Amino acid sequence: MEKLLAARLHAVKVRPYLAAALFALHVVEDRSVPTMAVDAHWRCYVSPGFVARTPVEELAGVWVHEVSHLLRDHHARGERYAREHGEQGPGERLRRNIAADFEINDDIYGDGLPRPAGAVLPSLLRLPDGLLMEEYLRTASMTGFAADLAWLDCGSGADGQHRPWELGPDGAHGLSRQQRDAVRFRVAEGIKGRPGEAPDGWRRWADEAFHPPQPWRQLLGAAVRSAAGAPGVGENHSYRRPSRRSAGVPGVLLPSLRRTPPRVCVVIDTSGSVSDAELGSALLEVAAISRAVGGRRDLVSVISCDAAAGVAVPLCRAENIALVGGGGTDLRSGFARALRSRHRPDVIVALTDGQTPWPSVQPPCRTIVGLFPRPAHAVNERNPDYIPEAPPPWAHVVTIG
Amino acid sequence: MTFSTVLPAPVPAAGTSASARAGAGASATGTHLALADDLLSLLRTTTTEPRPDEQLEALTLAVAADLPVLLWGEPGIGKTAALTQLAASRDLPLTTVIASVHEPSDFSGLPIVGDDPAVRGVPMAPPQWAVELVRAGRGLLFLDELSTATPAVQAALLRVVLERRVGALQLPPGVRIVAAANPRASAADGWELSPPLANRFVHLNWVHDREVVVRGLGGVWPRAELPRLVPERLPEAVGFARRAVCGFLEARPTLIHRLPSTETRRGGAWPSPRSWEAALTLLAFGTAASVSREVLALLVRGAVGDGPGLELLAHLDRMDLPDPESLLADPASAELPVRGDLRQAALEAVVAAVGARPERERWEAGWAVLVRALETGTPDLLVAPAKALAALRRDDWEVPQAVERLTAVVGVADRADRSVARVEAGR
Repeated sequence: MEKLLAARLHAVKVRPYLAAALFALHVVEDRSVPTMAVDAHWRCYVSPGFVARTPVEELAGVWVHEVSHLLRDHHARGERYAREHGEQGPGERLRRNIAADFEINDDIYGDGLPRPAGAVLPSLLRLPDGLLMEEYLRTASMTGFAADLAWLDCGSGADGQHRPWELGPDGAHGLSRQQRDAVRFRVAEGIKGRPGEAPDGWRRWADEAFHPPQPWRQLLGAAVRSAAGAPGVGENHSYRRPSRRSAGVPGVLLPSLRRTPPRVCVVIDTSGSVSDAELGSALLEVAAISRAVGGRRDLVSVISCDAAAGVAVPLCRAENIALVGGGGTDLRSGFARALRSRHRPDVIVALTDGQTPWPSVQPPCRTIVGLFPRPAHAVNERNPDYIPEAPPPWAHVVTIG
Repeated sequence: MTFSTVLPAPVPAAGTSASARAGAGASATGTHLALADDLLSLLRTTTTEPRPDEQLEALTLAVAADLPVLLWGEPGIGKTAALTQLAASRDLPLTTVIASVHEPSDFSGLPIVGDDPAVRGVPMAPPQWAVELVRAGRGLLFLDELSTATPAVQAALLRVVLERRVGALQLPPGVRIVAAANPRASAADGWELSPPLANRFVHLNWVHDREVVVRGLGGVWPRAELPRLVPERLPEAVGFARRAVCGFLEARPTLIHRLPSTETRRGGAWPSPRSWEAALTLLAFGTAASVSREVLALLVRGAVGDGPGLELLAHLDRMDLPDPESLLADPASAELPVRGDLRQAALEAVVAAVGARPERERWEAGWAVLVRALETGTPDLLVAPAKALAALRRDDWEVPQAVERLTAVVGVADRADRSVARVEAGR
């Protein structure tokens, strides 16, 4: 027991941001557990034999490994995956456990935490590092391979399947869902508060633990819809035709609700840094959404823009438009041209990688920025200190990709 | 048999039961229809069983607290069924209004021209459902399909939800408002909720439980035991809620008002003075009804958003920690939390209290608390507090006898240090 606790202290020393989670685990000694395992209620089951034959520093790695299963919510995610894909049974359980281990093991070891001898890595199956459990499950078959690892068992905390030695939801010292969320939240906030200490994998987890990223198609759709449908743009009261209810109130002219289809202007960053495939998928998405909002095809126009803005082309002719450009970007000229055009747009959608100056004043229409994510260190040969400006606060920003 | 023979058709002799009609030699159509009725009534005969239901408890409390609730859930998930159960259990008449098929004037009132508009003005007549609600004086108003209503209708609904006015009609205090919306993922042509409207609601995610659905289709539906307010606990509940929210906002003033900034959080709950007031009300109601922390978490996160809600709950956990001064006053019988991270937090609070007013007796009492913690729990939790307490020592203070009993702590700490050093050296 003392050895196990010393290992926990070791883990806390080298991973201080995980301290709250490590200390929240309740240790249960049990001889029927193969090695060390966790359940969904934050109990940690430990085999005394395993502790006796494992060095302290390796045990510290096991502690961090097991707590990672819980922090990353592998049991709920594993159950969800099994339900969606209809995959149950012991073989599948093992597959989920292995995939969850892949997700953890590729980035928690090193830096004061030696990797235990038996740790499975994605490279065993020639898979890339840094994927999520679900992605490993989708891509890898793991048949044949699984037989060698049948001893591997991280408990229901890793895959959501109940084990005979587990105390279950009503047993002593379990954490309720709210308590588990509170611990995970505190760890995530700790990592976000001192971002220098934690590696990338943990920082990404902290950012997404309570706000999982949404698919950009839905977000872009919702943004375009709300911009095009806001009062005063797509739909408003009009006296051009009387309301159908006027018959009921003779003598009163009621306005009727009329839809004037919104004009959407898409400003496309055609500088060398954005790939054609990215642009193509985003452009098609915008066109489809604006049609769904009630826009006619001739009301959606496209401006391709690098350092200077091209001519606004209606989408009906733009389907096979060659997006000319390359080199530096200045989206300001694209915005200016969009606003100068004969029919002023109701919505401007800018598709860009963000490495551009932005207009200093808010344009008189709703603005959506579809942002292709780029690594933080932008490359600029002439000015190595160049940091691209963030999109202005008046724009809805949707990260694409 | 064609399908039309099963479908209801005009029956000449109505109001007779299947057996009576069969015995009287009624027409073949009538017999089929009666048999279909029998089958339907058999299908609809289900029983219920008691089963705790956190989301229904949360909904009940929010409705009791007279805060507008917004249920987010996929279509067909049982939102309406839950409301029907709630209305029945509270004996409230249920009025359902599908927001997306109405016009703004249905909620702001329809102008009626009288004899002399210049003198009498033009009254804004409310729709029939509102008149009936007011006449009943109480009821549950269910605004369905809120997110698919156009922005103009949403704007008109603001007034219904906030001011409780429909046209010229004021809804009586006995009327409770619940709305439902489909999440953006499944609303094919949905609009997003504007932040002002979103801020007025308590957002609850409505999810189905596989077991409940399977068992329900098998004939046994759950019956939740709904929380009841305990009269004796009311003053205590208000005091607790005020202390919790005020103490928390004093520590985190930046969370008082924060508009949703990222695209993912639009249309959901966000913190503002209004929603903090809602959270305070919900905390008081939850405490007065003695509901679990899970239900409180659903409610608080639904009112002020996930992040601020979780922080408030963490603050509640810290409020549950034993008071460091009372631990110092009587170390021998100190009751420390069982959970490791909370226990360490309590011990650190004790050390901080000693550090705030360093006196020899308090310092020694601090060691006594640590000894007590060692007797009731694991030693590794004590390493950090013991180090901090040792650092508070003044030159003329002698190390108390009790410290010798903390050797186990030193052993664990040394062992961990050696192990860290081994890894460092092995690199």
